[in-house]
Amino acid sequence: MLLEVRNLVKSFGGIHAVRDVSLTIERSSISAIIGPNGAGKTTFFNLLTGIYKPDSGELMFDGKSLKGLRPDQVMKMGVARTFQNIRLFHNMTVLENVMVGEHSRLRISLADTLLRTAGFSKQEQRVRQKASDLLKFVGLAGKGDETAKNVPYGDQRRIEIARALASDPKLILLDEPTAGMNPNESEDAMNLFRRIRDEFGVTVVLIEHDMKVVMGISEHIDVLDYGQKIAEGTPAQIRANPRVVEAYLGRRAVEDHAEAAE
Amino acid sequence: MSSVTIDAGPQAPSGLDSFKQTALYRFLIFPLGQMLVFILGATVLLTVFVYGLAVLFPEPRPNIVLVEQLNRQLPGMIISGISIGFVYAMIALGYTLVYGVLKFINFAHSEIFMVGSVIGFSFMSFLNSLGMLAGFNPILLVVSTVLVSAGFSGLLAVGIERVAYKPLRRAPRLVPLITAIGLSFILQDTVRAIASLTINDFNLTYPTRDIAWLQSPLNPLVFNIGGIDVRVRITAIIIMIAAVIMLLILNYFVNGTKAGRGIRAISMDQTTAGLMGIPVNTMISLTFFIGGALGGAAGALYGLNVGTVTPYIGFIPGLKAFTAAVLGGIGNVTGALLGGILLGMIETFLNGTLVYFPAIGIRYTDIFAFGILIAVLIFRPSGLLGERVDEKV
Amino acid sequence: MASISAPLKQKRSFWAFLDKPSNALIFALAYIALTLLAVVLIDRRSLWYPLMNMITTPLFLFTPLVVVSLPLGKWLKVGMFVAMLLVVMPIVGIYNPPFLELAIQISIFAGLALGLNIVVGFAGLLDLGYVAFFAVGAYLWGMFTSNADTVFMVNGWTVDGGAFYIFLILGVAAAALVGILLGLPVLRLRGDYLAIVTLGFGEVIRILARNLDAPTNFTNGAQGLSGIGVPPLPGFLIGFTESMASALGLRVDNPDALAKQLLYYLLALGMLFVIMLICSRLKDSPIGRAWTAIREDEVAAIAMGVPLVRMKLLAFASGAAFAGAIGVLYAAKQSFIDPQSFILLQSISILAMIIVGGMGNIKGVLLGAMLITIVELHTLTNLSLQFNALRNANILNIPQQLDPSKYQPLVFGVILVLMMLFRPAGLLPERSRKLELQEMREEDELQHAMEEPLRDNVLADTSTPGEK
Repeated sequence: MLLEVRNLVKSFGGIHAVRDVSLTIERSSISAIIGPNGAGKTTFFNLLTGIYKPDSGELMFDGKSLKGLRPDQVMKMGVARTFQNIRLFHNMTVLENVMVGEHSRLRISLADTLLRTAGFSKQEQRVRQKASDLLKFVGLAGKGDETAKNVPYGDQRRIEIARALASDPKLILLDEPTAGMNPNESEDAMNLFRRIRDEFGVTVVLIEHDMKVVMGISEHIDVLDYGQKIAEGTPAQIRANPRVVEAYLGRRAVEDHAEAAE
Repeated sequence: MSSVTIDAGPQAPSGLDSFKQTALYRFLIFPLGQMLVFILGATVLLTVFVYGLAVLFPEPRPNIVLVEQLNRQLPGMIISGISIGFVYAMIALGYTLVYGVLKFINFAHSEIFMVGSVIGFSFMSFLNSLGMLAGFNPILLVVSTVLVSAGFSGLLAVGIERVAYKPLRRAPRLVPLITAIGLSFILQDTVRAIASLTINDFNLTYPTRDIAWLQSPLNPLVFNIGGIDVRVRITAIIIMIAAVIMLLILNYFVNGTKAGRGIRAISMDQTTAGLMGIPVNTMISLTFFIGGALGGAAGALYGLNVGTVTPYIGFIPGLKAFTAAVLGGIGNVTGALLGGILLGMIETFLNGTLVYFPAIGIRYTDIFAFGILIAVLIFRPSGLLGERVDEKV
Repeated sequence: MASISAPLKQKRSFWAFLDKPSNALIFALAYIALTLLAVVLIDRRSLWYPLMNMITTPLFLFTPLVVVSLPLGKWLKVGMFVAMLLVVMPIVGIYNPPFLELAIQISIFAGLALGLNIVVGFAGLLDLGYVAFFAVGAYLWGMFTSNADTVFMVNGWTVDGGAFYIFLILGVAAAALVGILLGLPVLRLRGDYLAIVTLGFGEVIRILARNLDAPTNFTNGAQGLSGIGVPPLPGFLIGFTESMASALGLRVDNPDALAKQLLYYLLALGMLFVIMLICSRLKDSPIGRAWTAIREDEVAAIAMGVPLVRMKLLAFASGAAFAGAIGVLYAAKQSFIDPQSFILLQSISILAMIIVGGMGNIKGVLLGAMLITIVELHTLTNLSLQFNALRNANILNIPQQLDPSKYQPLVFGVILVLMMLFRPAGLLPERSRKLELQEMREEDELQHAMEEPLRDNVLADTSTPGEK
């Protein structure tokens, strides 16, 4: 077990965004967290990565608690993420974006930086090489020198993934990684997610709305609704779960559907 | 007074509740009561504090018994604390109103205040040059001076917004802030240039000598309370009365009029307010006018009180008023009032007390204001009355 | 590129002409020769001298910049650049001491501007009290060496001028320390609050300088510190000054004073060079990338493992450190400092330098520092002199109240406002900064508003545990 979340609670001024959520993520698995809009999925990611502080609950990652850590410390522990509304460093180049992702793995000494020691140059060389390898891995070979904001939308998502991978994570959290993609692009993205797991051994968790992606790639699915976990299981189990269908379509719709069936 | 928020919906009328719905309560009794509470609270708090100091340091200087000094000074400190507090509150409202609608610190507001004080001087000097000052009805004189200053400063603020801030509304936050700093210098030097060209001096002394009633033996008014003579300057009383009236008008405007509702709506969500048909630009101009007018009025009152103004008097009161706004909770109208009164009181009480401590003296008063500002920003950036809400993203 | 307007075509052909190295060399030499002649040959007794001086001196001061930006061979470029700075300019300075003074001031303020640029340009933190760190350095040297009767004067004895170079390092350390002490609590604040707090801090330092003369006299209060120590004067500079003066046929009354100015010129230039080197190395390193990331998006930066507060502190401390060292030099050079030397206007003028030049771009900041310092110390002064001359000659009577040298704040104010309105990225924008500012203007306001709560939340969350 790589990640274990117990009884996580977070509210914003009286609104319970996440209430009493417990779930586990297996090492080297690909899992998805799904749920209707406003179900608390992104808040859950923000709690995991230290951007929000949980009101209560426990977050165990690889045997250590993530509670109370700052986002950069969480990243250093091996949890990397992407953002729903792509947050690249827009005016840095694509390559520099990925290089920033390596920050937490670097040995940064002021003296080395100012004196340009051999060690410093070697490290810079290595960082650059690794960043460009990662760009190649996500399919953006040769685009390193472009300014991030000038890159097409779909490629920006890939840069975010490369940037997250640059930190050598054990777990990568992808927040709606295929939003706005057409079926072909989604297919490519799914392949990429599989390769992340297969080639790097990184555990992948995604928030996703596209059921084709969710069902096609996840080995395990957790379903949130109104901040609560309402179901978990394999794709087949989730598809058959009436509470999940209800959460997505609403009780009325389910009843209508049932009536129509009768 | 109420914060820039929209009240809850109508409630079922019962005896007290229906009284609370009346205009008399909402626009007169409640805000007056609130001011009184703030003043009394601040007074009690600081009185306890300075007497606490007196217990700890009974004789900070040889032959100076702090308690005796405090007994003698207390009423005076309270009065001047309230009057300077009202001045800070009026300036702070300008910061807070603009912050409420634009989420932007109008750094040049301190210079709007300065311009108000200079206009007040010019108006009185003008009357004086016509020989009309001496015979002017006192109330009419104060009212007209304050109105002229307020009007001019208000229009100036609107003009500045149109020319210098409006084009930058979508720029990063720091861009209009830098513009505002530039504007402060422009305003200072422009006023100085005009003053030195016209009267060849930029120390502008209000012609109070020529106002008979300010020179009469009645000023300062002397009350005998418990064997101690308490002197109250007439100008301090003028400041208090004028400030209370203006704050009541502001409260009515913000909470009781359609335009006020529009401003509150914009402060909550500019985009939606615009979509709902509220003329956003007009409302923003109106906000600047009101904030500027309050600042200008405060400037005239301040000038009348201190006697001499210069193009450079804006900076320190401006920074203190900003501190007051932050202390109360920036964007919150009630907070600005509370912060202003508190800061005015703190300043006068500290000045009155620390003067007896040789190592500190009054030379560091300005530092205390900065200290409060930094402390509030670090430990409670939402201020005393601001709610700390973790908003959902 | 379908339609090319006539002026553009013209400009293009001019640049095309310069593209040829031999032409560029001819142009450079001609430029240097003409401006040098203009500086040296204009008649100082002429009625219009101030106006001519106002125009020619800056043109000559720009020669190193012209040389650097022309497409010359690398070694030729470096050679000409060094020769201009280390030979030609000092000689002109001996011939015309006010020119040397201006060059020193430009070097000093360029160093300060580069320091502030780390904070504002690289890391995106608006510091309005930068002059405070400058004051820390200046007062450090001033307090220990001034002939004022402070606590540091023991039996009439003060620190010897020979300790100057040690104090340069102490100045770096003291200012960096103050930067960290200030930064620790305030760097969590949102940008505009940070600006106001730093402004307040700048004032606090000035108030302290003014008031720390009693009960114990540290700073000598409002009277300021005079007779501040002077670094030891190397003999070769005196020799150089005297031989140059005699070669030029000048009679120099006080060669030591002039040699001292030469020493400050070399020191200021040397420090500027070191600061430039450090800046460019920092910028092109993981530290520089982290700063840019913070400037672009704090939330994404911290989520990508950039320790926000630590990197911001580093920016703050580095900027402060430069200001501290320059402060030591400044105090020595001025030989007198008082609290009025460190007012808000100073901070704003340094800020104006990086805004005019282009935040983040080292070359831009140097250009901005030159332009602003020239306006501040040369243009306005000469305009005033010219107005006086015309008034005395009864040609044009501009009222004394409008003396341009008194209107520095107005000039800076106008510069700041115009730059923000029309060219927020500066004259020589950093590639990314230019894009950023454009993009922000285009960015949907709603989006901007939505990001805010998250940003605040992060800032709150990076606070030390136990604060809540």
